[in-house]
Amino acid sequence: MPETKAIERRIVLANLDQPGYTPDIECYLKHGGYASLRKAAGMKPEEIVNEVKASQLRGRGGAGFACGVKWGFIRADEKKPIYLICNADESEPGTFKDRQIIDRDPHQLVEGMIISCFAVRAKLAYIYIRGEFAGGARILQKALDEARRNNFLGKNILGTDYSLEIYIHRGAGAYICGEETGLIESLEGKRAYPRIKPPYFPAVLGLYQCPTIVNNVETLCNAVHILRMGGAEYAKIGRPNNTGTRIVCVSGHVNKPGYYEIENGAWTLGQIVNDLAGGVRGGKKIKAIIPGGSSAKVLRMGEVIKLRQKQPDGSMAEKEMGILDIPYDFDNLQAAGTMSGSGAIIVMDETTDMVKAMNNINAFYAHESCGQCTPCREGSLWLQKITDRIVRGGGRASDPGLLINVADNIAGRTICAMGEATAWPVQSFVAKFRDEFEKACEKK
Amino acid sequence: MPTFTINGRKIDAQPGDTIWNAARLQGIQIPYLCASANLKPYGSCRLCLCEVDGQRGYPASCTTPVRDGMVVRTESPKLNQLRRNVIELYLSEQPEDVLHASEQLRTYAAQFGLQKVRYRRSGTSGHHLNGNGHRHNGHSHGKTDQIARRDYKVDDSNPFFIFDANKCIACARCVRACDEVQGTFAISMSGRGFASSVTAGNDVGFAASNCVSCGACVKECPTDALVEKAVVQHGKPEYTTRTTCAYCGVGCNFDVGVRGGRIVSMKPVDASPVNWGHACVKGRFGWDYVYSKERLRKPMKRVGDQWVECSWDDALAMIGSEFNRIKKSHGPDALAALSSSRGTNEENYLMQKLMRCAVGTNNVDNCARVCHSATVSGMMEVFGTWAATNSLNDLEKTKLLMVIGANPTEGHPVTGARIKRALRRGTKLIVIDPRRIELCRYAEVHLQLKPGTNVALFNGLANVIVSEGLHDKKFIEARTENFDTWLEVVKKYTPEAVEKITGVPAEKIRKAARLYATSGASMCAHGLGMTEHKYGSYGVMTLCNLAILTGSVGRPGTGVNPLRGQNNVQGSCDVGSVPVYFTAYQKLSDPLVQAKFNDATGRPLPERLGWKVPEMWDAALEGKLRGMWVMGYDVAQTDPNLLKVQAALGKLEFLAVTDLFFNETCKYAHLVLPAASFVEKDGTFTNGERRIQRCRKVIEPQDGIIPDDVQMIRVSEMLGYTMNCTTSSDIMDEIARLTPTLAGVSYEKLDRGFGLQWPVLNMAHPGTSVMHTEVFPRGKAKFAPAEYLPPGEEPTGKYPFTLVTGRVLHHYNCGAQTRHSGLIEFVNRDILEIHADDAVEHGIADGDMVKVTSHRASVELPCAISERVPPGQLFTTFHFPDNNLNTLLSSSADTLSKCPEYKVCTVHVEKIVKKSGKRNARSHFPTRKRDVHARILV
Ligand SMILES: Cc1cc2nc3c(=O)[nH]c(=O)nc-3n(C[C@H](O)[C@H](O)[C@H](O)COP(=O)(O)O)c2cc1C
Ligand code: SF4
Ligand code: SF4
Ligand code: SF4
Ligand code: FES
Repeated sequence: MPETKAIERRIVLANLDQPGYTPDIECYLKHGGYASLRKAAGMKPEEIVNEVKASQLRGRGGAGFACGVKWGFIRADEKKPIYLICNADESEPGTFKDRQIIDRDPHQLVEGMIISCFAVRAKLAYIYIRGEFAGGARILQKALDEARRNNFLGKNILGTDYSLEIYIHRGAGAYICGEETGLIESLEGKRAYPRIKPPYFPAVLGLYQCPTIVNNVETLCNAVHILRMGGAEYAKIGRPNNTGTRIVCVSGHVNKPGYYEIENGAWTLGQIVNDLAGGVRGGKKIKAIIPGGSSAKVLRMGEVIKLRQKQPDGSMAEKEMGILDIPYDFDNLQAAGTMSGSGAIIVMDETTDMVKAMNNINAFYAHESCGQCTPCREGSLWLQKITDRIVRGGGRASDPGLLINVADNIAGRTICAMGEATAWPVQSFVAKFRDEFEKACEKK
Repeated sequence: MPTFTINGRKIDAQPGDTIWNAARLQGIQIPYLCASANLKPYGSCRLCLCEVDGQRGYPASCTTPVRDGMVVRTESPKLNQLRRNVIELYLSEQPEDVLHASEQLRTYAAQFGLQKVRYRRSGTSGHHLNGNGHRHNGHSHGKTDQIARRDYKVDDSNPFFIFDANKCIACARCVRACDEVQGTFAISMSGRGFASSVTAGNDVGFAASNCVSCGACVKECPTDALVEKAVVQHGKPEYTTRTTCAYCGVGCNFDVGVRGGRIVSMKPVDASPVNWGHACVKGRFGWDYVYSKERLRKPMKRVGDQWVECSWDDALAMIGSEFNRIKKSHGPDALAALSSSRGTNEENYLMQKLMRCAVGTNNVDNCARVCHSATVSGMMEVFGTWAATNSLNDLEKTKLLMVIGANPTEGHPVTGARIKRALRRGTKLIVIDPRRIELCRYAEVHLQLKPGTNVALFNGLANVIVSEGLHDKKFIEARTENFDTWLEVVKKYTPEAVEKITGVPAEKIRKAARLYATSGASMCAHGLGMTEHKYGSYGVMTLCNLAILTGSVGRPGTGVNPLRGQNNVQGSCDVGSVPVYFTAYQKLSDPLVQAKFNDATGRPLPERLGWKVPEMWDAALEGKLRGMWVMGYDVAQTDPNLLKVQAALGKLEFLAVTDLFFNETCKYAHLVLPAASFVEKDGTFTNGERRIQRCRKVIEPQDGIIPDDVQMIRVSEMLGYTMNCTTSSDIMDEIARLTPTLAGVSYEKLDRGFGLQWPVLNMAHPGTSVMHTEVFPRGKAKFAPAEYLPPGEEPTGKYPFTLVTGRVLHHYNCGAQTRHSGLIEFVNRDILEIHADDAVEHGIADGDMVKVTSHRASVELPCAISERVPPGQLFTTFHFPDNNLNTLLSSSADTLSKCPEYKVCTVHVEKIVKKSGKRNARSHFPTRKRDVHARILV
């Protein structure tokens, strides 16, 4: 990567920080809003799906699933009702991007949803919004009402024979409601117990056992820009398979915590932390970085990453580098043994007590386990109990090993991916900071 | 059919089946805790993990569908380790003392080689961890060491089972059973993560929740967190004996668990085609009356005003000598006997044989007289048959169910639960009932007719079907007669005309008629709201007319199906314990029957037709009937116009009563004999779908009680007639020989599976689940025209209310059994239900004592305001003898069958004002017995 300083490339966030930009429809229209929808109204649904496929857009909710592929699961001759759900539950620790869009540019989301619904032939859509976002729900409701008044929503949108309703559903404060099948159960009025797989995709059997597309807020917003630019043009942003921009949320011991929209793969983790987020507070050294929300495996400063990268000529080459040199996108972080997840970058400086940090994370997962399956329900609690006793000076020499053991028995054994989300941090923290854990266990 | 390999063995699976279930059906047991063949796949415990070639990780076999060609391993060192870890996690939070941990967990621990639980309780700052556990039964401790511990109080509020949340592993099998099997949704998982636990109702404990105590949750629980109190007290069963429930006409199959010679549990049988592993509170738990201290244990005779114990020999000799004396002085027709539809087929057969052969009279009847006799006469007229045309399993096939005058979720709870399951799958429902019963919540349309107007309503439905051309012309042409004559009558019953009579809006009548006629498979289930009327038989005919009008009979998922009240209403009549027919309604006047009878018994059939129950009372009052033996039938509590019945009983020269308890009828008896309960004898019951099922002796009769059949055999001997059949199997063989429709029934065949549904025409015949597929017993079905006539009593200024009587979930008819069971803790008295408007008008508040007066008598009852009854109507039960409730009722009865008009009686009510104080007389029940209210508010 050349020595240039990282800069933002704002597409989704293009407007919302501009002075005088307001969340009402007039302002959005003044900034060219709903032009993509008008364009979509003149297209066939499958044409839109093809544009999204061409854009190579990947989901921004955490798993990075190819959006066009997901939409493609909906059969053209589907007889059942089709639903679309916007996942606005944003609860992954460290993540605070979706709420910016909801609060300050709600029409971008609404427009994105309408286009997406049209593309997948959904006639009913829901915004499942995190319960704590009471203000956001109000703002969205106003935006929906405005859109309806302007015939962007409701019956015969823009004079076409396409009609759509969007409803807002507020969650009640559980992380698991962000997991898409838990979300669907919750929307159906039940406990948010994630569903067993198979069926693997809600797009096949989702809400009320009907085909359902679940997408993250940011993902849906990108539909607006894909239609504006055209899928092929959009795909030129970023790298192949890692196209477009990404909103990263930098938090922890940095000078300028905040959200930054960057071109995928254009900048390294170090550039983001140092150039965009202003570097570590008080000139301290970085000790560790969690690159994609609390569920992502931690990176230890000083560890050597062997990154297998695809070369321009298609061949694979392995390159050794430090963690700050990893270019930030889906594939590179995965190749580095972790993930870009929800785009939340948590920076920990040299003063950080890793055992305490671990305990904090464990407490979160023990609190949020839905309790449906044993390894996660019981295991997450034991993880917390163990780190808690270490922190309190009651650790035992066998505890680091026990932590790994419990975590190993969660990952891959659960109904939903929360199992991995719980296990990965522990596995990586203990593996990479074993010395700290062992030392802490000696403390009495 | 997919074929796959499991542990090297190739097996077949049903399409869509899970690995776990397919393996189970082949006898390969994969370790499990949360899976159940009765419930949908869930996948929470992660014990059943397996390895699948070509698939990453360890999928749960209980949620992974079988794919053709799949290669699965369910045992490997790795899997064993995973399982060991799961059990270790469970055990880490089970009660401290490992011996108290659930037995199933300990067994698995041993199986997977778990030596030591590595996780021990220790400090944690996780104060929030049981934030959700701050519940009525959970309390947190101050010491951090114990904060994240399950420390719940045991919920023992239910009379029959406890819930110990400390042992719960949050597998939610109980919750799923309550939802999926029972359909009551009484319990749910609450809290999350580690604090997940089962909560009854709105966290009020089981007793105060809307739980109906069906026990489905208890049966599913793998850890004994939910467990029967009897099992806690007496231990787990050492062995089980299979039998049939002796409560209602559903006829559920149970495995009776015995330990140390004592019954400790009754568990419904999963494979049973009747109840498919489900049960209701009465059958599941209400068997404890068997051990009631109040059971009769020794015969007693009346000496002056005193009851004196006597020996069995003396007691039986007394019946013999009294019967002989009366027969000699007044002839055989001065004697009569009543048997019980709760007794076995064999007992009922013996009773009629005793009367016909040893005494020489047809004066024998049973309590079916007072419930479904009108069904028999009605169905006879149209089809030429006397039983349900279809089977319970047809509920899986029907597209529309019409429930008439029945309250299945209480009267036939297992069928009720099954109906709710069908409705959740999309079956449509019509309810025809004056009351707003629970099922109304799920009905497409509820026709809330005035009591006693059935005939008009069904004629109205038929009218709509014909006038809209929805009738099945082909079926009518091919398989029926008398259509045109009938049509003349029905023509007059336009929906508008019928609205005037029944009070049901014409539009609703139209809607129901269209639904019934067009569903593709419509099925009727009716109860006593259909039969216990002055024109009950005609009501049944008009219902049958609808079935043949639309071709809704003779096919799976259709038909006319009486929901039989007592366990053996069907059988007691089938085996001839009726005064005007021999077995299976063979005519007594038929020379062939007479010859057959003579051949088999060595005695001629008596010529004079016998008296039906109500006629017996007249005969007694007139001095024509002088001696009676009443077995298992409390006439002095359950018959209508009780004052008359009681007077009649009082006039008898000799009355012997055989019963489990000292009932109301005993008060008029000269001799009282204990009876053996259903677990103390062998025999058969025939359920409401014509299924003859075995009732098996589980324990020896207590205290040397001589079982009812032996009592009859010995009395017969004294009357000079030796019964040639002595074992119950012999008796059934004799019945089979004499009865064409039962010709192929034998104990050996019954024991092979789950009984036989008659007709069973010969030894090779498998029985019949759907009747009339090609012809009706009478050849063509006959449209039976019936005009509407008003009921015996109609509301007047003086008696403005119509009183309807019926049952509640927790009790069974006269309550002989249920009142002597823990069931009494749920409902301990009859309650009058009144609509709020009427209550206000009469100044009655919830819980007030009121006086209910009819033309004949008055009774006092506590009153509850209820949403189930419409204005102008009252409802109460007749489970408790202290009110003498049936004194209110008239002797009015079905003109054809003499089935009493229990469902219509006009009364007035007044609040009882205590003379001394200003306060009203208040009853004890209302506020504490929450369930009474829960059941009234639908
Ligand atoms: C435990 C858990 C929590 C999740 N929470 C969120 C969330 O808050 N917001 C979100 O968009 N996706 C969340 N996801 C991911 C969703 O399940 C789903 O993959 C996503 O909404 C799909 O949208 P996308 O394809 O647009 O990314 C979560 C997943 C898991 C396993
Ligand atoms: S893994 Fe955890 S969060 Fe997911 S279903 Fe199981 S218990 Fe619930
Ligand atoms: S006993 Fe029956 S109704 Fe009560 S909670 Fe258990 S399953 Fe539900
Ligand atoms: S009570 Fe029993 S069945 Fe219910 S969740 Fe607990 S362990 Fe499972
Ligand atoms: S039995 Fe399969 S997960 Fe519990």
